[in-house]
Amino acid sequence: MRLQYASLVLPGMLIFSVGLILPMLLGLRYSLTSWDGFTRTLPWVGLGNYGKALSDPYVRDAWWFTIKFTIGNTIIQNVFAFSFAVALDRGLKAQKLYRTILFVPCLISPVVVGFTWLRMYSDVLPALNTLLGTRINFMLFGRSETVLTGLLIANNWQWIGYWMLIYLAALQTVPTELYEAARVDGASPIRQLRSITVPMLGPAFTICIVGITIGSLKVYDLMVSSTNGGPGRASSSIVYHIYSTAISGRQYGYGSAMSMTLILVLLVVAVVQLRILRRREVQL
Amino acid sequence: MIPLRGGRAGKVFLQVIMAIVVALFALPLVMVVNYSFKTKRELYIGNPLALPHSPNLNNYVTAFDRLDLGRTFVNTLVYTVLSVVILGLLSGAAAWAIARNRTRFFKFSYVYFIIGILIPYQALFLPIYIIGYSLHLTNTIYGVVLMYVATGMSFGVFLMTSFMSTVPVELEEAARIDGCSVYRTYFRVVMPLLTPAIATLIIMQAFLIWNDYLMASLFVSDSSRRTLTLSMQNLFSQQTSDYTSAMAAIVISALPISILFVSLQKYFIKGMTAGAVKG
Repeated sequence: MRLQYASLVLPGMLIFSVGLILPMLLGLRYSLTSWDGFTRTLPWVGLGNYGKALSDPYVRDAWWFTIKFTIGNTIIQNVFAFSFAVALDRGLKAQKLYRTILFVPCLISPVVVGFTWLRMYSDVLPALNTLLGTRINFMLFGRSETVLTGLLIANNWQWIGYWMLIYLAALQTVPTELYEAARVDGASPIRQLRSITVPMLGPAFTICIVGITIGSLKVYDLMVSSTNGGPGRASSSIVYHIYSTAISGRQYGYGSAMSMTLILVLLVVAVVQLRILRRREVQL
Repeated sequence: MIPLRGGRAGKVFLQVIMAIVVALFALPLVMVVNYSFKTKRELYIGNPLALPHSPNLNNYVTAFDRLDLGRTFVNTLVYTVLSVVILGLLSGAAAWAIARNRTRFFKFSYVYFIIGILIPYQALFLPIYIIGYSLHLTNTIYGVVLMYVATGMSFGVFLMTSFMSTVPVELEEAARIDGCSVYRTYFRVVMPLLTPAIATLIIMQAFLIWNDYLMASLFVSDSSRRTLTLSMQNLFSQQTSDYTSAMAAIVISALPISILFVSLQKYFIKGMTAGAVKG
């Protein structure tokens, strides 16, 4: 009996081990070598790759970009997804249509989203200048000072609707009696939002904040068709940089060390966020 | 629903604001569709915001051809469907077995699967690629599928476990008394009850796999095995000046999937909030 049960777990466990656990262990092993992907021997360098990564300005820039991108996304996406959800929850006209249009971009491949915004910035938006007689520089992907803003706009355009759905679903679970009681007590709408809605949406905030953070730290596909990590290296995310170091630059050992660092960062950030956010959730 | 104090004026104001927001969000979508009907000539000399002069489907015909759409569409469909079906079956079976047993092995199994939930495969793509390459899994259907299943298992088991309380133990016990084996019980009794959960998992993973680029680009180099996203990127990188057919390609690739998944929105909500239910 127990063996039969175990045999239901094993196939999944085997595939999971080959495709995720083994890569993690091997990645750790490669990260301690200077393997180039060709040789049969793995030249041991100990923690050398990690030390090298610490002082490598390219790696530092990639991390700096990724961190700014992640913080930007986490704030912007949560604020807008939450606000739009609250707005749509008030029974506006055509709210189903609104919800659908806001949601659609997340169903499109990030590669396509990148290309679409490349065209928006280079061809469509500049035409607004002639129309309005303004001289705004819309070519956000063209300069290293503005490329982050450009990618943040594209990425937020894609994902706000997705997270908005969670907030919308959570809003519907807040009992109306709470608001009624608050109104009897004379609480203003802002006060109701702050003292009822936000605390009651604790679990939704947790999912969205952690989800957006992880999603932003792993960004890669978005740049493939839009900026190619440029101009220069201005929009090389950490995953993008691992790709160019390891796959294009044949430094598998060094790339693996960066991968391991990324995993560590992901785990630490997510666990810290979960601990803080879970503690703040209202227990019913 | 938050009752509104501001009354009618407040609501009108909100309505206007959201209408503007939605219009801004729709702008890129409208732009793509608009360009997909333009001619090359209009692209170079016309106003980018103007409507196409004489809309026709030429760009769509070109895009269809350049994407090798017949083949890439079927490839993507095969990868996606196989991955999500296997993922649904395996994580459903694992989660059920874990939920029904209290011994150390099953407790360990749960923790083992959950380890991966905070790690997106992008963080591990390099060793995943090396393993795939050394096991000769590149340019094979099962290679890509295997990796999508492996990297989806953590979320799968997590989601399925959170749904497991919807499966009453009494039914299983009745089946057991009637002499059903564990396998028969799973396939005949439990699986039908798990259908909504499996559907949720499938839908949540399907659009990610369908749209994925990195894993596909690592595992597939053979043009006959290419996915739609790979083919799109190929088209984007070739057509830097005349991109009207690229715009048509975007419509072709995004429209069916968008219509399908917009109609399945409620499953997304179910899947995404599963973590919150457990508290």
